[in-house]
Amino acid sequence: MPAMIEYIQKDSFFHRLHPITKILWTFGVLIISFLFSTPLPIFIILLSNILIAVASGIFKQVFPAIKALFLFSLLLIVFQIFFVTEGNTLFYAIPFTNIGRVTDVGLNLSLVMSFRMVATVSTIPILMMTTPMTDMVVVLVEKLKIPFKFAFMFITALRFIPTLLGEIEQIMQAQMSRGYNSDTRNPFKKIIIIIPLAIPLLVSSIKKTEKMAISMEARGFASGPRSYYKKIMMKKEDYASLFVLISVIFITAIVF
Amino acid sequence: MIRINNLCYRYRNGNSVLKNLNINIKSGEFAAIIGQNGAGKTTLLKNLNGLLKPTEGQVLICGLDTSKTKTSVLAKKIGFLFQNPDHQIFCSTVFDEIAFGLKNTGISPNEIESMVYNAAKKVGLESYLKNDPFSLSKGQRQRVALASVLAMETDILVLDEPTTGQDYNEGLEIMEIVKELNAQGKTIVMVTHDMELVAKYAKRVIILMKGTVIEDGTTEEVLSKEESLAQSNLKPPQAYLLAKKFQKQGFFRNTYTVEDMFEEIISYLRGEQNACND
Repeated sequence: MPAMIEYIQKDSFFHRLHPITKILWTFGVLIISFLFSTPLPIFIILLSNILIAVASGIFKQVFPAIKALFLFSLLLIVFQIFFVTEGNTLFYAIPFTNIGRVTDVGLNLSLVMSFRMVATVSTIPILMMTTPMTDMVVVLVEKLKIPFKFAFMFITALRFIPTLLGEIEQIMQAQMSRGYNSDTRNPFKKIIIIIPLAIPLLVSSIKKTEKMAISMEARGFASGPRSYYKKIMMKKEDYASLFVLISVIFITAIVF
Repeated sequence: MIRINNLCYRYRNGNSVLKNLNINIKSGEFAAIIGQNGAGKTTLLKNLNGLLKPTEGQVLICGLDTSKTKTSVLAKKIGFLFQNPDHQIFCSTVFDEIAFGLKNTGISPNEIESMVYNAAKKVGLESYLKNDPFSLSKGQRQRVALASVLAMETDILVLDEPTTGQDYNEGLEIMEIVKELNAQGKTIVMVTHDMELVAKYAKRVIILMKGTVIEDGTTEEVLSKEESLAQSNLKPPQAYLLAKKFQKQGFFRNTYTVEDMFEEIISYLRGEQNACND
């Protein structure tokens, strides 16, 4: 099964923070990463993300996402590094030739780019894994005034991923019982081979959506103003964390 | 035909679903597997055609070890009908849908045509071969699914709650087809919750509870074990319960189906009539 980004129940400081505090944290990381233009401080921010993940007890689940981001950032480095012509030559990719010149400016720039990418994007799985989806929606709708229908669409789409994976398993088994064989390395055959799985999945998803829409309407969806069962309040820890976050942003903005 | 030796199955999360099962099903049998939800019935069926591989023990289908044979190979020996036909239907005509399994097993085009026609005829859909399966009723779609399994001409047929979600007549139609196939010598293994169907069609009944076999015997033997049935949230068929009430008053012998009950009553009434006429 692919790495899933879903809420992991734990009782840590970061888990208990108000969703808005955590959303602001992701923006804070974004701002700070763009204020710096040398790789080391951005790398330290990245380390702080990882530390938060470890402290929240979700490192094991976040790790695959961070690993994937690092692999992608390697690609970014490779595509960046050889195309910067400014600066002093550090070394050549192929020694004793003039091919693949790497300059200090190029190295700096591509490292900054890749660390920035990993640091800013890795906050998203950490945010999602420490915040229950329903809390997120309540906050988005109540505090940030996002229309409920949009928030609902978002939460439902995420909620259906495991359901659809289960459905694919069922369909796969039904087709395998009729001699269907899905092992092939030929990419063109792979496309054809997916049809017996894709069509039943599409048909059953549409049916499911229809049923869900009807049952929601029957229970008064979108009939008027909503109320929320759960009240999420900002606490002392939230104000303290926000204070720390904002001071860090100010200090970096002024000092660097 | 089907040999299950000390089969244990655990899901990856450590849930033990099947515990040390030993079942032997001979050629031509009609076995019903019953039990409450979560007893492991479907897991057992999926172990039969290699969709799930045994954690311990061994399942042999016509001598083939399922843990060493791919499901797509076992599909030539064992046909599997799922509860929901919509999990498999994807072609734009009934013909293509029925032919899917045959194409998978590499049968020549000339043969496919006659095999598809035969299968469609068995389920009474021979005039629908050019129709779009999605335009058919649920009962008809289930029969398309059944035909697509039948077309493979396997000796064993495994049915997972084939009548669920269908109306009474649709269910009966499926069962009549299955009965006919059994009469032609096919081995049938069926999971169901419908005790009336079990009483009417099955020859052997196996009760699974929490992953173990608690009863295994002829339909009459097992259906009269009221305690074992009650443990599994099941009730004997109504004809049996009625016969029991009559027996307390000293009438009739055990019956399991409405037809048997009717026979009992009619022969009793005839006796009375004759006595009156004398």
